[in-house]
Amino acid sequence: MIRLDQATKFARTKGIKKPIINDASLTLQRGKSIGLLGRNGAGKSTLLRLIAGTIRLDSGRIIREGKVSWPLGFQGSFQGSMTGEQNVRFVARIYGVDTSTLVDYVADFAELGAFFRAPVNTYSSGMKARLAFGLSMGVNFDYYLVDEITAVGDTNFKKKCQAVFNTRLQESDVIMVSHSTGTIREYCDSGIVLENGKLIYYDDVEEAIKAHDNNMKER
Amino acid sequence: MNVFVTHIRVVCALLVREMEARFGSKPGGYVWALLDPAAHVALMTLLFQAITHTPALGTSFPLFFATGYIGFQFYQAMTSYLNGSVKANRSLLSYPNVAPIDTITARSLLQLMTTVLVACIVLGVIIASLRTPPSLHWPAILEAVLVASILGIGTGMINNVMFVKYPLYEQLFTIINRPLFLLSGVFFLPDSLPLPYRDIVLLNPLIHVTMLFRTGFYEGYRAIGLDTAYLHSFAFLTLFTGMVLFTFSSSLLRNE
Repeated sequence: MIRLDQATKFARTKGIKKPIINDASLTLQRGKSIGLLGRNGAGKSTLLRLIAGTIRLDSGRIIREGKVSWPLGFQGSFQGSMTGEQNVRFVARIYGVDTSTLVDYVADFAELGAFFRAPVNTYSSGMKARLAFGLSMGVNFDYYLVDEITAVGDTNFKKKCQAVFNTRLQESDVIMVSHSTGTIREYCDSGIVLENGKLIYYDDVEEAIKAHDNNMKER
Repeated sequence: MNVFVTHIRVVCALLVREMEARFGSKPGGYVWALLDPAAHVALMTLLFQAITHTPALGTSFPLFFATGYIGFQFYQAMTSYLNGSVKANRSLLSYPNVAPIDTITARSLLQLMTTVLVACIVLGVIIASLRTPPSLHWPAILEAVLVASILGIGTGMINNVMFVKYPLYEQLFTIINRPLFLLSGVFFLPDSLPLPYRDIVLLNPLIHVTMLFRTGFYEGYRAIGLDTAYLHSFAFLTLFTGMVLFTFSSSLLRNE
């Protein structure tokens, strides 16, 4: 369960203060995979980072029960000067997972070949995405926070992601940001629409998509 | 309790990562950490042997310079390594359980271990080569190491925040920090300076570090003007300021 309790967060740039979420209270139950919809710049990625805990609220609180992943972006959270393998080992250590098991799993999943032992700086964005996705699937989380990651990669990679992801989703939930309503429909059964600092939860993902489309038509 | 375990795990992971980055990426690895102080001591010995016959203290030039240089390094190497800790690990901060303070902890531990190892080897070799080895006064040595490290960690923490907040401060810090090597009694003793200058030089806390460190190696050294209370208050105040600044700038350090 993830609960937002009067959560407020402002985005500040050069004196402009814009609310991303304004006094939002919401409970996300286990067993529901949620698609997060909103226009460009609405703050979907920021909300994901707030749920992960890498950034803090300005006021209110977020209560997490269960293991929440880091936000999986297609860029990955990798240190560019470290090799893919070193990055994987690092994650294994900070999450207390067996190092060699995770390294083997990711090496097998990401299919980077010799590049696995080269600095992440030298990777293409597709390679980074493969590494990021494989790495996160190798660690067991109750909630996976996914930020547009499945949009990257070729068809084979997408198929592979789908297969692994579907097995994971039997025990875990996903909170997903995507501009592709197809992807959202595929993985999520409910939705949240983020608009003007307000979070509206829809139990049915189709209703969320409809509401989002209406928002887009207005402006 | 759980939070504490996570911190330990993260610090250990960062330690491995920093060791790989620092010593694993270039040929020679750990040897460079040793070569730097050894070369400095050798160079100063050569230079000063040409100018004077005996060092300001004792009879061995290498021991005199090594005690000064290494005592000073416990501060200097610490700050210069810590200054970039958060910046160098920025991407790793996107994992929610990695906190900015963990990068400081990991780098301070690694730097302290490195300087201690270097000190043991360099000073050990010099002392072993002396005809009459000095009797060591360990409490003074350990105190100097500890206080210098605390001063270094505090300064490093302040800099991690201030370098990001005020780029101008980084320039200022470099200007002030560079001549510290000359003013910290690495190759002279403040005891021998004439009075108005001695009092001015003694305002520098680092000169107290080198004096304290040397009292551990030279039995007869009286270290006139050594004020450990001043040194302790300065070091702890710096650490405290660093911690306060660090705590209140967490969003800045996370690059929100």
